[in-house]
Amino acid sequence: MPSSTSSSEERGVLHHEGALPAGLRLTASDRPGEAQPVPTRDIPKQPWGKLAFAVAVTLLIGTSLLEWNARRIGLRAGDLDNSETDWANERALSAGAPVAIVGDSRILFDTDLNRFEQLTGVRPIQLAIHGTSALTLLQDVAANPDFKGLLIVGLSDTMFFQPFDGYGGYIHKRAQYESPAKRASAQIDHFLQRRLAYLDSNHRLSVVAARLDPNYRRGLDGPYDDVWKVQEVGERRETHMWSQVETNPLVQAHARYAWKGFKEDYPFTPQMIAGGIAKAVKAVATIRARGGEVVFVRPPSDVHLRVNEEAQVPKVKGWDALLRATGAVGVHNDDLPPQAQNLTMPEWSHLNRACAPVFTDAYVRALARLTPRITLVANAPAPLGRVDCIAAQIASKS
Amino acid sequence: MIFNSLTFVVFFAIVLGVWQLPLAWRSRKLFLLVASYIFYAAWNPPFVILLWISTVVDWWAAQAMVKSERPLTRRAWMLASLVANLGMLGFFKYGQFLLDNFILLAGSIGIHYQPAQFAIVLPVGISFYTFATLSYTLDVYLRRAKPAKSFLDYALFVTFFPHLVAGPIMRPTELVPQFEQPKRANKSMLLFGLALITLGLFQKVVLADGFLGPVAEKVYDAHKGVPMALDAWVATFAFAGQIFCDFAGYSTTAIGVALCLGFAMPDNFRFPYAAVGFSDFWRRWHITLSSWLRDYLYIPLGGNRHGEGRTYMALMGTMLLGGLWHGANWTFVAWGGLHGTYLAVERLIKARFAGFVPGPALVAGIGALTFLLINVTWVFFRAKDFTVASNILRSMGGMAVKPIAMIAALPMIYAMVIVAGIVTTHWVMRDKTLELVVERTPAWIVGVVWSVMALAIVAEQGTGSAFIYFQF
Repeated sequence: MPSSTSSSEERGVLHHEGALPAGLRLTASDRPGEAQPVPTRDIPKQPWGKLAFAVAVTLLIGTSLLEWNARRIGLRAGDLDNSETDWANERALSAGAPVAIVGDSRILFDTDLNRFEQLTGVRPIQLAIHGTSALTLLQDVAANPDFKGLLIVGLSDTMFFQPFDGYGGYIHKRAQYESPAKRASAQIDHFLQRRLAYLDSNHRLSVVAARLDPNYRRGLDGPYDDVWKVQEVGERRETHMWSQVETNPLVQAHARYAWKGFKEDYPFTPQMIAGGIAKAVKAVATIRARGGEVVFVRPPSDVHLRVNEEAQVPKVKGWDALLRATGAVGVHNDDLPPQAQNLTMPEWSHLNRACAPVFTDAYVRALARLTPRITLVANAPAPLGRVDCIAAQIASKS
Repeated sequence: MIFNSLTFVVFFAIVLGVWQLPLAWRSRKLFLLVASYIFYAAWNPPFVILLWISTVVDWWAAQAMVKSERPLTRRAWMLASLVANLGMLGFFKYGQFLLDNFILLAGSIGIHYQPAQFAIVLPVGISFYTFATLSYTLDVYLRRAKPAKSFLDYALFVTFFPHLVAGPIMRPTELVPQFEQPKRANKSMLLFGLALITLGLFQKVVLADGFLGPVAEKVYDAHKGVPMALDAWVATFAFAGQIFCDFAGYSTTAIGVALCLGFAMPDNFRFPYAAVGFSDFWRRWHITLSSWLRDYLYIPLGGNRHGEGRTYMALMGTMLLGGLWHGANWTFVAWGGLHGTYLAVERLIKARFAGFVPGPALVAGIGALTFLLINVTWVFFRAKDFTVASNILRSMGGMAVKPIAMIAALPMIYAMVIVAGIVTTHWVMRDKTLELVVERTPAWIVGVVWSVMALAIVAEQGTGSAFIYFQF
């Protein structure tokens, strides 16, 4: 008979205390009002060594197949995903940092941190979060007394004035993601993600299974309507467009579909916009009061989206009013030089990987002219233009 | 740290490795104690102090109770233990709740009281270890158990990491004696322990977090609209599956972890969705909590020894407090109250039909009705407030105005298949133990099931989300 961890070795699965049916085991619910004895735990008789070996082999083969499939569909090792803990870590590093960036996915994708550093000698802290109102993140930085540097707020008009936080609402529970256990898990996770491509939150078993539903049930937003993987994340939250969005027509078409033209199902009332501006004014004043500064950047969006964004939050009522009320300087994509216009946006909302340095180059140079908080280093590289990202695209394809 | 995290994988590998070293038993126990403190401190290091306070207060209270034969002195020490433990629990868990309700009450009579804002962080697992340590002093006070001979053994009982933050809530008599003799798992125990860990993590990571939780969220956390009846029922069934897989998954993992180290922990679930009636449900669901409440609350309140009226009061009082134990929110009190009502009605019916033995069809019918009514209670458990709860209950009753579809077809099908699988498994196994079924199953099937579960965990990856019961 198999062994047991209780005091009686001869007790096994089939022999138990009391007059119980075979296989039943007494629990505390069967012994009211008395001291509970040391529990009985049975060990079923099975060839556990052989079974464990078989499971280990299956795991090895199964994981290899998962990895092979992941690489086949364009995932790559080194894509670190974008976790709440990573954001919390960067947020902690923003204390005392000269430059930080907040905003939604556009400034996240469209800023090339390497180019920024080459131009200014400063590597900004990337605090932008996809699907999140830049206003929420601006307010968060305002509430951080340790940040006294330059804050670059990258915004898309509708998302900035939306009446909710969006995906990044988790920042309000930041403490949960700062525990030693979470930080350690993030480190181990990154160690594995640098080596294994299949570790991608967008391709978890349940997520992939749900996406097999092509909206069978009419009248609701199903998993097919969700935004699927559009990004690759490197070290320190350096984020770019996922290569498959650039090259795979199906992935690209789905990404375009998922934006739904940036048409929100609620109106952007004048009160809503005024309320957003009032909050921004307060946050900017708070940051300035402790010696910091705020600038705004409006990254590009393709005409397919821009026309709807403009219809909901006109530039004159949103962007212009925001700059006027806050007294902050800003760089709108429309105001950039022609060589930094009409960059490639495969899914209409974000620049492709090759064009992100061009846009970064253009807005950093523009900011350097507008605020003394940004200065170009003496050996700054020459300006980039549209031809550079097209050349880079051709080079990467070849 | 949580079991479904990479940090725990590394931590447990180190603990297992050191545990196998040929060290003196006392040294190994000291190592286990330190490891358990690290396990707890990984959430929030300062809260280890609360654990120490609880440990030391109850150790001294029990020692003092043993040394004194005077009933008054013994009672004073027992009360000191109660005040210290419940005081900490009350402050950290119910402080804000009490304050909010006081403000509401004051406002209702025209007094606008606005206290200074203070954010209280809830120490993980405080409800669990408070109950575990209280059972120590209460057992000693009631002379059910002798105090631990060694402070190390007692401290390890409180802190032993497999049960520390979410149970099973162990009694000192269940665990302290296990620390008196050297323990080390043999090969079968170790590997069966790993199989149990796989089962527990499969329930948590794949079923609860991957397939069931998101379906419940779609309805219970919807930003707009009220759900159609189908969506409301499916979301509630999904939550029933999620809460079981989440919590039973934790307990199974904890039992497996302890087994790998050579220790036995008690069953915490016994296929509860095959319960026939509500008293049967509570003998199968969260057994270590329900038996704790029975032994230290229901029986001291009078139990069934002081007439029918007192019995019903004790029953309802126990269930209301049991509800509040789960969280500082009136929805949990309503959940407990509903269970108390169910139990009271069941008691009345049993008294009315004493001696009646139902046939198999009626047993199945009562089982199905029990499951449905349990699901109604889960609405209050899952809903963040009464508005959400009433909207969902209205939808479940087909009385929603302009309801909308909320759950996509495939996720709905996945959830229902999983929940049906859980309920069927519970009925098949309601009079068996997992170990018995595993022993009677051909080895190759055990191997396939174990492999599939392990691979599913790897494929699901997990998001490291906390177990639902941690918040309690």
